[in-house]
Amino acid sequence: MLRLLVFELYKLFRLRSVGLGLLTASLLPFLWALAPGLKEVYGLVLASGWQVVSLSLMAGMEFLFPFLVVMAASESLGSEVAQGTLKSLLLHPLPRTRLILAKLLSALLYPFVLLGASFLGSLLAGLPHGLGGFYGGTGLRAGGFAGVGFLSAQEALGQLLSAHLLAGIVLLPLAALALLYATVFLSTAAGALAAMTTLLLMRLLVAFPALTPFLLTTYLDLHLRPSAAGLGLPLLLIYTLGFTFLAALVFERKDL
Amino acid sequence: MEALRLQGIGKRYGRKPVLEGVSLSVRPGEVYALAGPNGSGKTTLIRLVTGLAFPTEGRAFLLGEDVHKSPGARRHLGAVVEAPAAFYPYLTGRENLRLHAYLSGVKEEARLTEVLARLKLLAVADQKVGRYSLGQRQRLGLAAAILHRPKVLVLDEPTSGLDPEGVELVHGLLQELAREGLAVLLSTHHLREVSGYAQKVGILGGGRLLDEVDLTGREVYRLEAEPLEGALALLRGLPQVASARIQGGALLFEGEPEAALQALLREGYRVRALFPQRFDLQAYYQERVKHA
Repeated sequence: MLRLLVFELYKLFRLRSVGLGLLTASLLPFLWALAPGLKEVYGLVLASGWQVVSLSLMAGMEFLFPFLVVMAASESLGSEVAQGTLKSLLLHPLPRTRLILAKLLSALLYPFVLLGASFLGSLLAGLPHGLGGFYGGTGLRAGGFAGVGFLSAQEALGQLLSAHLLAGIVLLPLAALALLYATVFLSTAAGALAAMTTLLLMRLLVAFPALTPFLLTTYLDLHLRPSAAGLGLPLLLIYTLGFTFLAALVFERKDL
Repeated sequence: MEALRLQGIGKRYGRKPVLEGVSLSVRPGEVYALAGPNGSGKTTLIRLVTGLAFPTEGRAFLLGEDVHKSPGARRHLGAVVEAPAAFYPYLTGRENLRLHAYLSGVKEEARLTEVLARLKLLAVADQKVGRYSLGQRQRLGLAAAILHRPKVLVLDEPTSGLDPEGVELVHGLLQELAREGLAVLLSTHHLREVSGYAQKVGILGGGRLLDEVDLTGREVYRLEAEPLEGALALLRGLPQVASARIQGGALLFEGEPEAALQALLREGYRVRALFPQRFDLQAYYQERVKHA
């Protein structure tokens, strides 16, 4: 299983969407660091390189990172269908569940790699603004970017690492959902589109307040609200496991 | 025991049947060719046999194990289900085979070189598959299929996209493998090519197995006589004649030639020629499909 997982990871990082995603995530922070309209949009005048890191995370998590994760998870199966290699794999005495789990585990690792690329790119882009302590905030805690006084480099790093970790966890069910749809439609585009549509539809369900605490989309900004992690983290985990179970179930009897 | 057995297997999508109640078996060392016009269900049958698709009726067995209930049954199976065979284009031929070896539990590195040499691919083994020609990919597909020494080989159009040398290589290899005891099921449009070594031919049409032709020990005689229609009716009435039909201004029949000749002469027919002729599978197939 380990060798299969390593091979799935190797294939994942050869996907076009993954290459493009990693490039975008690592280069976008340089754009943010130079953006002239930050004050108008985010009320921010960059006082520290740490703010570039949090800005990149917040901007990315609005749409780009979820989209990239959904695309990659969907393409991990869709590309194999398109080039015909999925059939070759399934001609071997390999249980289908094991294959889909290896694909899922590699897809679940991708959000953390993507966020890691963004984090490293942001650190580099933020260097000219300094990475020491500063008066202000990371935008992730009380006081926003204005902060509540002096923030040491250690505190800033801690806040950003925990926010990136939470963001990574937020992206897990999205990857599982995209893979589920990819097993249903056996197509990259259809899988990604269905996953994004589901998320958009779920967002509309805020009109039903009783459902809101249990919706996946309620926790897509968990990195900004670590206080909601108590209910949010178990729910995200349940969603991930649920989508995984369904994907394995569908794939087990899927005609190819 | 049959190496491959299909028991009333069928597939329908919604209400539309694509394949209905197909039963056939292939013994070790036997080559079974599937023929049929486009859309007759050949590829669906191959997908069902290999476990890639699931039947709506019937079962498929590989050496007695149900291929749809036990993924382990596929350890007996080698297959190429697409033409050209699909591989990771960014890996070399050898690396692709190494992946297949891992998935099939083959540990000897020497086996990779052996199959590459057998398919005449050693010269390009360390080139990326993305740079292979269609024929080379098709041969690499066959190399991957026989890598783990399977007991059953299932091939969908194995000579598609190959040049004449490649076609000859594949047919030669299939004959060798059959002699080694492998059961081979292949789909083809090139009946003349496979009739030289296939033991059985299944003719599919409209999703059904229309006919199963046993080619072993099949002797056909060509008779030129007058009047032809009358001679045909006479031969059809003889117990010593298994089948008779008109083809190209002559009669083709299977059975005892002496008995046929005596009966014709006794009834006053003019017999100009009578000689054995190799069974014309292509002509038989065309006639069978036309009247289906």
